[in-house]
Amino acid sequence: MWGYYSYGILVVMVAAVIAFLALARERDDLHKLLLIDLVEILSFGVIALLGTDLAEALILPGLTVGIAELLALSQIYCTKEGIRQNTITGLNIEVIAKADAPMILSIILVVYGMILSGFTGGAVAGLGLVVLFISRSYREDMNLLEMASGISWALWIFAFFVFMFLPEYWFAALMGAAFGILLKVTVKMSLVGTMWGEQHG
Amino acid sequence: MADLIGGIPYFILEFGDELVYFTPYTITLFLLALAFTVLAIISRPEKQVDIAFGGDAYRAKETSLSEMRFRRFMAIACGLASMGAMVTGDIFNFTLFTAMVGITNVGIVAAVKSPHVQDAAYQYGLVALSATVPLFAGAAVYAAATGSLSMIELMKGTLPAVPLIGKAMLVIGVIGEGMAPFYAAKAEMFRAPGAPYVIMCSLSSLLIFLRVVEVVMLG
Repeated sequence: MWGYYSYGILVVMVAAVIAFLALARERDDLHKLLLIDLVEILSFGVIALLGTDLAEALILPGLTVGIAELLALSQIYCTKEGIRQNTITGLNIEVIAKADAPMILSIILVVYGMILSGFTGGAVAGLGLVVLFISRSYREDMNLLEMASGISWALWIFAFFVFMFLPEYWFAALMGAAFGILLKVTVKMSLVGTMWGEQHG
Repeated sequence: MADLIGGIPYFILEFGDELVYFTPYTITLFLLALAFTVLAIISRPEKQVDIAFGGDAYRAKETSLSEMRFRRFMAIACGLASMGAMVTGDIFNFTLFTAMVGITNVGIVAAVKSPHVQDAAYQYGLVALSATVPLFAGAAVYAAATGSLSMIELMKGTLPAVPLIGKAMLVIGVIGEGMAPFYAAKAEMFRAPGAPYVIMCSLSSLLIFLRVVEVVMLG
């Protein structure tokens, strides 16, 4: 009766109790938010215990909703505490800013990401760009990157419609989806952190 | 299928993973959500006036146009999420829509520039975020016990019974997204001016609670 699933559930439940206890003891609002993020991961633990493709498909939207909630709450926290400016401007270390290593590392990561393609590839390639942006204190208009992200997302969705309505063109749809998600994740990841330096009027 | 609380489905749309169905019960809830969303779109927001107790003095609260636009957008998003939660035939989609109702409820009042309201919205947001744990876990237990997330399959009664813990988690999750006793944090948010947008918070919570009653009685 007590299979792996039951043991797994037990471990997650114990972890959840510990996390909620920590949450109940915490008084600082920002720390509460961080703890909540940890607590939320446990719900993905329960889903992951299913151990099927379905679980994988369920974690993704769950994660998206969780991140959306977290972003909304962070924004409210900033407004509530009157945090207006963020002066993060990259690493600003002269040696790193002038060295070739970050460029070489990011090129390797981007190329490897393109070979992997899909979600994983996007994440790897995005990481490469993040390394470059952080080390170079990059200052550019990010609107173009945002537009590329939007268009690649539309391509991804379009590919899904092809899957549903014209299944005989599945290969083209697969390539479209893989390319779209690669671009989308790459761009989104590279935007993480780089837009903080913007001064909002 | 005769003893279903929601009645026999009039219409079932199966589109890949997406499953939508209308029963007399869900269609009523859907129409209610639709009516209030239309109301939020067409109505003009109120202007809140504070009256000094024991005197004739009063003070009108000014709210900017951009703030009102944002709140209207959030109210409409909340209405759409509620409508989705009413008609979906998939347990996991239901939990996602419920979580979305939680976010949009916070969003409706988040643009208000009052420290009390901001603080209450933040505290409520924390509760809503932690409620996603039992919510998603409940859906996962449904899938683990029955092998299906389809409400239509659960209705047929041929699947194994859903454990009580799964149902309890689902209900606790929905309660955490805005019902009593967690409502206390949310009630503070209603200091925010701006009917009918604030009403959307209450209505959406009521609707998802009515829906979850139907959902837990299926399996």
